[in-house]
Order: sequence, then structure tokens, then C-alpha cells
Amino acid sequence: MATVTLSNVVKRFGVFEVVHGANIDIKHGEFVVFVGPSGCGKSTLLRMIAGLEDISGGEIAIGGKLVNDVEPADRGIAMVFQSYALYPHMSVEQNLSFGLRMTGNPKADTDRRVKRAAEILRISELMDRRPKKLSGGQRQRVAIGRAIVREPQVFLFDEPLSNLDAELRVQMRVEISRLHKELGATMIYVTHDQTEAMTLADRIVVLRAGHIEQIGRPLDLYDDPDNLFVAGFVGSPKMNFIKAQIVGHDARGVVVELAGQEKTRITQPLAGAAPEAGSKVIVGVRPEHFGSAGEGGTDLVVAIDVVEHLGGTSFLYARTAHGEDVVIQRDAAKVPTTSEVTISIRKSYLFDEKGLRLR
Amino acid sequence: MRNRNATAYRFLAPYLLIFSVFWVWPIISSFMISFQATRTVPWRFAPGFNWGRLIGDPAFFNALKNTLLILVIQVPVMIALAMVMAVLLNSPLLKARGLYRFAFFAPVVVGEVAYSAVFRLMFSLDFGIVNKLLNSVGLPKVDWFSNVTPAMALIMIAVTWRWAGYNAIILLAGMQSIPEDVYEAATLDRVSKLKQFFYITLPLLKPVIVFCLVLSIIGTMQLFTEPFLITERGGPGGGTETLGLLLYRQGFRSLNFGYASAVAYTMAALAIAITLVQLWLTREKQ
Ligand SMILES: Nc1ncnc2c1ncn2[C@@H]1O[C@H](COP(=O)(O)OP(=O)(O)OP(=O)(O)O)[C@@H](O)[C@H]1O
Ligand SMILES: [Mg+2]
Repeated sequence: MATVTLSNVVKRFGVFEVVHGANIDIKHGEFVVFVGPSGCGKSTLLRMIAGLEDISGGEIAIGGKLVNDVEPADRGIAMVFQSYALYPHMSVEQNLSFGLRMTGNPKADTDRRVKRAAEILRISELMDRRPKKLSGGQRQRVAIGRAIVREPQVFLFDEPLSNLDAELRVQMRVEISRLHKELGATMIYVTHDQTEAMTLADRIVVLRAGHIEQIGRPLDLYDDPDNLFVAGFVGSPKMNFIKAQIVGHDARGVVVELAGQEKTRITQPLAGAAPEAGSKVIVGVRPEHFGSAGEGGTDLVVAIDVVEHLGGTSFLYARTAHGEDVVIQRDAAKVPTTSEVTISIRKSYLFDEKGLRLR
Repeated sequence: MRNRNATAYRFLAPYLLIFSVFWVWPIISSFMISFQATRTVPWRFAPGFNWGRLIGDPAFFNALKNTLLILVIQVPVMIALAMVMAVLLNSPLLKARGLYRFAFFAPVVVGEVAYSAVFRLMFSLDFGIVNKLLNSVGLPKVDWFSNVTPAMALIMIAVTWRWAGYNAIILLAGMQSIPEDVYEAATLDRVSKLKQFFYITLPLLKPVIVFCLVLSIIGTMQLFTEPFLITERGGPGGGTETLGLLLYRQGFRSLNFGYASAVAYTMAALAIAITLVQLWLTREKQ
């Protein structure tokens, strides 16, 4: 069973600690995406699982077996690199078979595996070409093919689609999803693109500056973020954050007043202990959680700067009376024509000053 | 478009003029001189005079044989050595890399006369450190300067010492341009370091190796300094005389410009021919 378990994994480059104790439990056959901004340590984490980087602290187990001191080739993993890392002087066929040929795998078996990988990825007619003569998408397929022929228990992908144009990226995303279903292998996938993460993952690991911010299923992260960072990172356009202050409590929950707008008060039910009145908080509202005035919720007056029409929906870029930018999603038919409108906040999230979710 | 080309040529004109006068013209002129008898005054056009002599001249064939022998032995040994040095320089285990890089490159910067003098001292029969070392491990002394075979070996050792580091630096630059992740992919593919070298590094380095070979072939075809200074004008008895030395002897000692030009053209033609064969053998096949 190809589970992958990281316990308190730490990575230091010299005195510089870049991963600060990561705990992740990946189930057999699961598709897990590491996502986070540039430099947060996604690649480092992946390369430690692959064995390309030493582990400075903690333990990594693959299939229940501790692999800290196991050679990369013996970990039962295969990796697809962002730059593809194809062998430039070999044909596609040779690229796929190189590893097997070098390790004395029987020729018939090698041929069978290469043929199967080529069929899965539909690159059979490219077998004689050199990487230089392939398009970006085709190179990507070959790189994935090279991983498939190894028949690994775990696939590792490091931003495999970031060199492709937008259209191809969507297409390859679907292919990788299909591949996951077809092979049923455990896959760990690194990206900084939250859309990719949301569409591909069974579970997402959100990283920031070497810390795991939250692990969860895509919609759980979207509907129920643990903190300000995850709330802002997941979803596009991102969640709006509006400064606010706690002014009291009533029977339904805690009462929050938006900064500089005495009349705009939101009542938010809280299960846990509420901070005392006067504490500063942040109210998060997703663009689609704004409604028209009177639809229920709290009304808010905003001034519209720009309207972006995307066809079915439109995005309104607006400012509150206090000067905070907000993005509002609307059906194209319901875009207001005046520059100042009253909207309602139908659903909101509350975060304390440190950025932790209040719920 | 034509207008812009004209402007460009006007800017290039001073260079082209100097290039024509000091490069193109001497090349054409020496070619014509090779068809003239230059021991008579005035020079007289005699197409077969120098070229006829060349075909039957034992001194020419001796020099040709020596030059090719050095080419065939020294160049491959040196490139192989340079490759080993480059691999070591490229190793992540190496400390003080800059120091080694400098040390390997330094021989090129040392003056030719100074280095030749040092080699003469090191290889001298009775006082040289090389013979002392040979003695200390129980081997007999070698008279490097008065026998042909040791003298040739000495020339090859000297040339190799001087240029191996230079080639190593070029090869190192080539190695460092191969992306690291290709090796990482091979490591994950369970390919050993040795196989990575033979199946990835060498093939990807081929253009750079060919470049080094071509440079070395051209250099060796013109070899002059070492046999002139170290083995004293191609000694013993012409045993290390190269084409470059023969050219010098004919042109500047005997003032036989016609014959010297014929030798010069033979050297150039040989260098070009060998290089072309080389390029053809290592061409990109597909
Ligand atoms: N070999 C190294 N030596 C020193 N520091 C390194 C090394 N490799 C990575 N780092 C540092 O570790 C941190 C994490 O790097 P990493 O490559 O894992 O980021 P990432 O999340 O993959 O970013 P990106 O999205 O840009 O690829 C960065 O601050 C980086 O500077
Ligand atoms: Mg990365």
C-alpha cells in the first residue's frame, strides 16, 4: 500500500530553516496537492519525499516503510519535473526506456511498458522524435510517460503545467485527472495555482513560509478556512477582507461593526468564546456572497469603480465608504447602472487580529 | 533595406580595409609565392619548383611524420586527461574549487620561454628532478634530449601540461551548462553515476569535445615553440622537427620563401582536412 507519511519533517539549508516540522498523512491512491506562494517550500518538501534532498529532521515513510536513508531509486516513486528534464539527445522512445535499459530490465518487458505508456498518453506516433522537436504539451506527456514506465507506487509532480499556455494547461489538467483514475496510484502534486489545486486534488495542503496552514478537501478549504491566509489563497477572485471591530453580543452571536461605518453591523454566530468588545477583527466576504439590497443580511453602500463583464457573470470593483476595495460578483443581468449602490452581505467569515478564524 | 546595408558596410569599411590588406592579401600572396622559385633574383614563376620538391623531400616527410605522431598520441591523451580534470573540478565534493581552476588554467598564461626553460631543467639528464624521481623508484635515468623517442615523449608531455587545463576549463563550462535536473531524473531512473557520465554527459558534451579537438588539432599542426626551445630546434638530429619548425627553417634561416609558403599551405590544408573528417565523423545523426 503506497501511503506517504511525513512526521515532523524539517529542512534546513545551512542554518536557514525552510520547512518547520510538516505532518502530512497521505492515503493510498489519494491525489494530494501542495499549494502555496513561491518560496514556501513546496518543491523542497516534494524533493525530500523523492530523496533528492536530505531530510534535516523528522521522518518520511512510504508504504509504511521509513525511507529517510533509502536511495531515491529505491523509494518506489517517480517524479515529473517542472522543466520536464528530458534527455535532450535521445528520442522519445529512448527517453521512456532509458532507465529500464540501463538497469537491465528484460527487453520484452521494457517494450511492453513503453508501449503502454505511449498509448495511455497518446504519444505513439512521436516515438522517434527528439524532445527539441516536440511542443510543450508533448514534452510534458513524455515526461509523464517516463514516470509511468517505472510503474511507481507514488507519482510526484513539481509544477508540471507551469510552462504551458492557459488552454493547454486546462487540457493537461484533465488528462492528469484521468491518469490518476486509470492508474489508481498515489499522486503528490505541487503547484502555486490554486485553481489547479482545487480542480485536481482529493486533498489540498496549503503551505506558507515552511508551515502547513491547513489540510483539507478543496471545498472544505473553500467553505471553512482555518485562517486568513487560506481564506485569501483559495478562491478566485479572492475573498474580500474588511476591517471591523467587535461591539457587543446578542442572542444570535457576536455583533461586529465595519471600520468607519457605524451603521453597518453584522451579527455572526460563534460556537467558541468570542473576543471581548472593542477587539479588532477582520470580516471576510467572498465575491459571490454579496447580494442585492434587501436580500437579507447586512446592507452596505459601495461606490463602483470598474465593471468587468465575463459573459454570464460580472465582477464589480468597488470601494466602501471607508475606502476599502471590494470585489463583487453579479449575474450579468443584475449589474447596477448607478455608480453608488447598496449591496448586502449574505455570508461572512470572522478572523481575529492574528488571522485565525473565529467560529 | 538595401540602404541600411550600405550604411552598415560604410561603418565596416575601415575594418574590412585593414582585414583585406593584412589578412586576405598575405594569404593570396603567399599562395602565389609558393609557385615561384625564390632562390633566384628576380623571383621566377615555376609552378612545379616548390611543390615538386615537397613531394620528394625527406625532411618534409620527417616533419610530417613527427607532427602527425604528436597529433595522434598527444591530442587524444590530452583531451581524455582534460575530461578527467573537468569531472573532478565539477564534483560537489571538491573544496577550494577556484584555486584548482586557476592552477589548471595557469600554464596557458606562463610565458613560453620561461616554461620551456623550466622543462629543460626538470628533464635534464643529471640534475633534473624527473630523472631523480625515476631513480628513486628504481627506474633507470632517461636521456630525454639525445634520443628520439624520449625527446618526442618530452614534447608531448610538455604540450599536454600546457594545454590540458585550458581544455578542462572549456569542458567544465560545457558540463555546467547541462541542467542538474536531467541527472536527478536519471538518478530516479536508477542509473548509476558512471552510466550517467557515459550516456548523458559525454553525448551532451560532444559539441564541446569536438570544439576542443579542432582547436587542439589546429594548434598541434602549427606546433613550434616546444620543439624549438625544449628539444633545441627539433633535435636530436631532426627527430622532433615539426612542420612548423621546417617552415621556420626554410623561411627564416634559408630565406627560401617559396618553399616555406608551400609548407605553410600544406599545414593549413592538412588541418582543414583533418578537421572536416572530424566534423563529419561526429556529425549529428538523424
Ligand atoms: N539549495 C538551496 N539552498 C538554500 N536555500 C534553498 C535551496 N533550495 C531552496 N531554498 C530555499 O528554500 C525555500 C523554499 O524553496 P522551494 O524551492 O521549496 O520553494 P517553492 O515553494 O517550490 O517555490 P516555487 O513556487 O517558486 O517553486 C526558499 O526560500 C528557497 O530560497
Ligand atoms: Mg518549486
